[in-house]
Amino acid sequence: MATEKWVFMVTAQTPTNIAVIKYWGKRDEARILPVNDSISVTLDPDHLCTVTTVAVSPAFDRDRMWLNGKEISLSGSRYQNCLREIRSRAGDVEDKEKGITIGKKDWEKLHLHIASHNNFPTAAGLASSAAGFACLVFSLAKLMNVDEDPSHLSAIARQGSGSACRSLFGGFVKWTMGSKEDGSDSVAVQLADEKHWDDLVIIIAVVSSQQKETSSTSGMRESVETSLLLQHRAKEVVPKRILQMEEAIKNRDFASFTQLTCTDSNQFHAVCLDTSPPIFYMNDTSHRIISLVEKWNRSEGTPQVAYTFDAGPNAVLIARNRKVAVQLLQGLLYYFPPKSDTDMKSYVVGDNSILKEAGLDGASGVENLQPPPEIKDNIGSQDQKGEVSYFICTRPGKGPIVLQDQTQALLDPETGLPK
Amino acid sequence: MAEEKWVVMVTAQTPTNIAVIKYWGKRDEVRILPINDSISVTLDPDHLCTLTTVSVSPSFDRDRMWLNGKEISLSGSRYQNCLREIRSRADDVEDKEKGIKIAKKDWEKLHLHIASHNNFPTAAGLASSAAGFACLVFALAKLMNVNEDPSQLSAIARQGSGSACRSLFGGFVKWNMGNKEDGSDSVAVQLVDDKHWDDLVIIIAVVSSREKETSSTSGMRESVETSLLLQHRAKEVVPVRILQMEEAIKNRDFTSFTKLTCSDSNQFHAVCMDTSPPIFYMNDTSHRIISLVEKWNRSAGTPEIAYTFDAGPNAVLIARNRKVAVELMQGLLYCFPPKPDTDMKSYVLGDTSIVKEAGLEGELPQGIKDKIGNQDQKGEVSYFICSRPGRGPVVLQDQTQALLHPQTGLPK
Repeated sequence: MATEKWVFMVTAQTPTNIAVIKYWGKRDEARILPVNDSISVTLDPDHLCTVTTVAVSPAFDRDRMWLNGKEISLSGSRYQNCLREIRSRAGDVEDKEKGITIGKKDWEKLHLHIASHNNFPTAAGLASSAAGFACLVFSLAKLMNVDEDPSHLSAIARQGSGSACRSLFGGFVKWTMGSKEDGSDSVAVQLADEKHWDDLVIIIAVVSSQQKETSSTSGMRESVETSLLLQHRAKEVVPKRILQMEEAIKNRDFASFTQLTCTDSNQFHAVCLDTSPPIFYMNDTSHRIISLVEKWNRSEGTPQVAYTFDAGPNAVLIARNRKVAVQLLQGLLYYFPPKSDTDMKSYVVGDNSILKEAGLDGASGVENLQPPPEIKDNIGSQDQKGEVSYFICTRPGKGPIVLQDQTQALLDPETGLPK
Repeated sequence: MAEEKWVVMVTAQTPTNIAVIKYWGKRDEVRILPINDSISVTLDPDHLCTLTTVSVSPSFDRDRMWLNGKEISLSGSRYQNCLREIRSRADDVEDKEKGIKIAKKDWEKLHLHIASHNNFPTAAGLASSAAGFACLVFALAKLMNVNEDPSQLSAIARQGSGSACRSLFGGFVKWNMGNKEDGSDSVAVQLVDDKHWDDLVIIIAVVSSREKETSSTSGMRESVETSLLLQHRAKEVVPVRILQMEEAIKNRDFTSFTKLTCSDSNQFHAVCMDTSPPIFYMNDTSHRIISLVEKWNRSAGTPEIAYTFDAGPNAVLIARNRKVAVELMQGLLYCFPPKPDTDMKSYVLGDTSIVKEAGLEGELPQGIKDKIGNQDQKGEVSYFICSRPGRGPVVLQDQTQALLHPQTGLPK
């Protein structure tokens, strides 16, 4: 029989997520099992997402993957673990339209082509691995007709990148640390969907960084090995915070949410500082943003904005509601104006309809900004141009979906090669 | 009897100190009792010191104090506690030369004039309160002929400013946290004197700071109230480190000293970050200096430089020996060059022999380039101070150094 040339493809889109109770430290490096639970909010994939096309064909002679247009190696254990785990769960697939049938047992002999693309810069410290591995696992599960719920799939994504497991759901998600050695109970579950608390507006300040940062993987390993505060955090502090955060999310209690989110972010960075050698992810600009938010919340009497920072200097700010978000953006643009001749539409991306509400979509918007009335102390002079590269305005968002529109596929439907 | 006009004066000089195992957090705000022990190194008063002249005269109508030339109020509890405690221990004093006699019971009716001066800028975050209160208590003890050893005096200085108690000794000093409620056992003791480990060279980088910093007093109170990591540090981590540090100092074990000093500094700042609202004392320049030292120690194979930071962005770097200090100075001047037209005499203060040996001409030697790695980011250092471990408080016999006029008892 002549080599069959059919190509069967699925394209999926997956969001990224930001932890509000942080994951930092593994108890098992090979299976990627954490030392504590974590909770995250999923961001709207309209603004930040990974799109992945997975394809299978008897004409493919080996597994291949392209990431943001460049071919990468799949030989690392993280990719191998995900591929092995998902293949072992493959089911029968039938595409009646194309007349293709793949039996369960055929999958182990077939090879895959995978193309993945982030719609945000990888170097911006915006957790592209999480979205990437989640998308890989989700799309392969669809391709291979894997009959597992998202929590089961999350245990596979987890083996690619810990925080990827939380991107299998929208809204607010908890990664339960689990207690089994094989990690089968270390899975993500949804706490609330993205509609539950849709008042929240999320503004990310992408902060210019001169340093090459310590990777999360090696950083958290060094913390586990050398920080004398980490175990206390994992055993004594986080379990309580997890319960309190679940309550806060359930009740839409923004004051508690803020207190927990900010203190957990700070404690994570404190543990990084307590590491040998010390790890500094936040910089002076990050600190100035924290200062601005802390002052604002105090002057309002009740918290208006929560902040959290991952393993990098970017600030993720969560505003109580749209009105607060508009004020927040005005304050941020006052203290961190764009360089001259910067188009506002490239300085505030994502949901930039907020620019109009902030009165900043005109030519002279930024010059006319007044210092925020809430902030009486000067947090520093206004000439911090260039300290923030740009802002992204977004919101809590939905989980992974299959994209039916073939024009969004990243691989050519005939050749299975990148378009 | 006509009003007596005699004036009795004593002038003393006291060093400042830098903690290598940090004090951060009180269990008693009034008596200033800490939640853990701390250990410090006393800096050479030739380079950083407080000078205090204390005087007594029947013609003084109230207690008065001048700090760096400005009159200040003595009404705060810290000053009041120190004055009360030292007065209650006053004894008979006789100045045969001047024919003056002060009996023990006279002190409570006599008033004091005090003038104090730091030879380093107060705004530079160089722990002026510690040296200041130590000097006040030491000078008054001499004036009033108080018969107490330095540890007992340290319990009084402690009530002015916690870390002041450690400035009653030279060399390496430990402040025992104590466990009595009245704080009588919360005192400083000397671990070793300033000659024990005199190879060490200390270089302080005074880092420019845009921010007005949170005061230590309120900062540590906020940490006690809100940091969930602080109690664990105080109860579990510090006691072990104190014992290890005492050993390291005794044995001149620089490797252990460095590991303990650096990790304790970082953990103190970690607890500050874990406070609500978070406190950031170190800035990007501080981080760059840490990065430089960490790279240096890794490339040297064995630690050559320890770093520690107090409640501010200034870096206190402790070099293993003079050779390392000279190389470090070269590396620092390369990474943090002075602005054009800066007089080197105002850019490197203290022991200038180090910078003279470092020289400013020519290329940076490759060995040092390897140690500092790729340093292409600028930082802001206002100036450097070169010093060393130093001696404890002394009385200055030279009357020309007195800050008060011997006749009037007013500032010169």
